Amino acid sequence: MGLLFLVSAAVALIGTVLLITQKNAVYALLGLLVAFGASAGIFLSLEAPFIAVSQILIYAGALAVMFLFVLMFTDTRTEEDTGMPVAVGARPDFDPAEHGKKKKKKKKKDAEPNKLLSGIVLPKPMAVVVALSLLVCFSFAIIKLPGSYSRFGDLPTVQSAQVKDGEKLPNYDTGLKFTPEAGETEQPRYVDYGSTEAVSYSIFEGFPLAFEVVSLLIFAAVLGAVLLARRHLTGIPGTQDVGKEQPDA
Amino acid sequence: MLEPKSVLFLAAILFSAGVYGVLSRRHLIMLLMSLELMLNAINIMLVTFSRYWAGRGSGLIAAHSGQFFTLMVMAVAAAEVGIGLAIIVAIYRRKHTSDADAMTDLKN
Repeated sequence: MGLLFLVSAAVALIGTVLLITQKNAVYALLGLLVAFGASAGIFLSLEAPFIAVSQILIYAGALAVMFLFVLMFTDTRTEEDTGMPVAVGARPDFDPAEHGKKKKKKKKKDAEPNKLLSGIVLPKPMAVVVALSLLVCFSFAIIKLPGSYSRFGDLPTVQSAQVKDGEKLPNYDTGLKFTPEAGETEQPRYVDYGSTEAVSYSIFEGFPLAFEVVSLLIFAAVLGAVLLARRHLTGIPGTQDVGKEQPDA
Repeated sequence: MLEPKSVLFLAAILFSAGVYGVLSRRHLIMLLMSLELMLNAINIMLVTFSRYWAGRGSGLIAAHSGQFFTLMVMAVAAAEVGIGLAIIVAIYRRKHTSDADAMTDLKN
């Protein structure tokens, strides 16, 4: 487990550095993807296989693809790349449609093959100061943790659990005892730490209300995303049919 | 030997890197990506504490509450990214840029 953690941590750090240094947003997304995959390895080394698989499915699968999708939709260049002010309203003669065209021409003129090293964003001093001071605060908090935090305890085995509970339960896996509430038909038994079964007990026996509320949240988010990204906001005051003036639609 | 402190320290590094990304980048999508990195660091912390308490004799549900909240954070992150990316697309339709410095409509 220690080796898996070390390798995953190193890969996660590499991905993070890629994310925060790359100017090209697609390369940065690649770095984020690497960091997410390595985080799944960290979860595995912490004996949380269900979380690791969820991490790969949700973050590396769904979120990364969504990011890539929107990157393809939008212009990923900023003022730093083009040397042109982009603040709308900063120039009275600003025309968004023309602006997009100009930027493209300029890009073609000094087009050079994208290299990983030439696309690095220079560090911003104030951001470095803030992030480093935050890291120092975190480090103090971690160093000040009680001594019990210098090792993970052993997970309970069936034997140790049986000794503790003073009874022999039917079954299966190692570890933690599931005790059904009064009136349920299930038998008490031991389940493995981090297994899907154990996580499901924590969801449906421990926090069922939070689980239901999160489903509502996701429903609202889907509705909101559809409404926000809709092309024609006909009948809604204050919005315009902006699809037509897009230069390369 | 895997230590809780070293995992927590890694999570702290990832979180600080996410903060740096949010502060230093101007592209809106890069901002969201750095935000995701911060949420991911919090997930690592939660799972670490979950494992720590499982090794110290917590019950089944108490030992897994960290993992449960990791799942909740994932769901909230997915919702947040969905809304955030929709807002970015909507802004891009209006302004033809996704530079954070161009978002000055509420200024003055």
